[in-house]
Amino acid sequence: MTHPSGPHLSPDDIEVWLSGALAPERERHLESCRECLERAHVEREIVEQLSALPAMGPALGFSERVMQSVILPDPFAIRSLEAKRRRLFASPKSLAFAAGLTLLLLCSMTASIVWSLGHQDTLSALGSWLASETGQAAWLALRGIATNFIEQPWYAGARALAASPGRLALASALASLTYLAGVVALRRLLALPTQQVAHASV
Amino acid sequence: MAEVPGWVQLTDQEVVLRARAGQEAAYRELIRRYERPIFALLFRMVRDRELAEDLAQETFVKALNAIQSYRPEFKFSSWIFKIANNAAIDHLRRRELDTLSLDGSPHAETPEAMHATALQIGARQESPLDEVEARELGGEIEAAIGQLRPEYRSCILLRHVEGRAYEEIAEILDLPLGTVKTYIHRARNELRHALAHLKE
Repeated sequence: MTHPSGPHLSPDDIEVWLSGALAPERERHLESCRECLERAHVEREIVEQLSALPAMGPALGFSERVMQSVILPDPFAIRSLEAKRRRLFASPKSLAFAAGLTLLLLCSMTASIVWSLGHQDTLSALGSWLASETGQAAWLALRGIATNFIEQPWYAGARALAASPGRLALASALASLTYLAGVVALRRLLALPTQQVAHASV
Repeated sequence: MAEVPGWVQLTDQEVVLRARAGQEAAYRELIRRYERPIFALLFRMVRDRELAEDLAQETFVKALNAIQSYRPEFKFSSWIFKIANNAAIDHLRRRELDTLSLDGSPHAETPEAMHATALQIGARQESPLDEVEARELGGEIEAAIGQLRPEYRSCILLRHVEGRAYEEIAEILDLPLGTVKTYIHRARNELRHALAHLKE
């Protein structure tokens, strides 16, 4: 059904009219069409009644009651894990990257296990060669240290000291005392200050 | 607890970020911002103050305990209204199922058993609290809203009482934009018919 000034207002047109943004030609139709004008006014009246409904609030202490059942997060425990999870699932690209990396890791681990199972002789030969070479290197290093030690100028004095039990005991006692004094001094240096220090407020 | 100056200036997203960092004051601020609109929506949906309070509490507890899973690219208001609306719709559906068994248990085999399991609605006395509620929701328009289908009721309340945009309502109710517009239009039509006698 139409009118000389154009088709009747659609529900969308009425919605636009309610928000005050109806196009001028539709506005002209509205002014000349009694049927549309009546409908628009009734709709506006309903909207006005709805907007004027009184505000309502829950009873006092609502916030407290809610907070009693809310578990506050531990920022240190959650942040790192949650941040990682969010970053990982942030976009399809990062998700695909993470999935690719996991797949690569799994493939390389599987390949490594399969190769090891198929080449057990090679692995055991390699193991024994490594063990003998390591043993030889350790023996050479020990001999070098001992030779170096014997060639030191203080070696003769130290050997004479070790020959006399009284002198050895005295030297040991002195060394222990020096060690203890060092430990005490270090503890004092590392102790937290006992005096209160003012902190900046957060 | 004293309100931290400056909360009012923060956007919902900023407050949520602080809540996710474990700031209790941020949780309270979110409750302060939404307790009234959420409660009003629920009260008008279920038309029972005590139940609306329970549902509002359930909504906030659910939302705040899941704040870590909230995605900041969406509006916080849409998220919390969605939780509230789902709670109301779930309740109304459950109530509808309960109403079906008003005549007694379907497993009752004798008339006596049927009578024993039937709900005695006639015996229910209207308490002073009910009277207050009836007055609170007593206007013709409130009564007419109460007669609408729950989907229409959610749409009309979110649009014209809470002032939410159509797009946001579509997001809250998980409905296409066109459907939201249709529901609102039909709801207004039904309200118009329901209130027509006042004009006469």
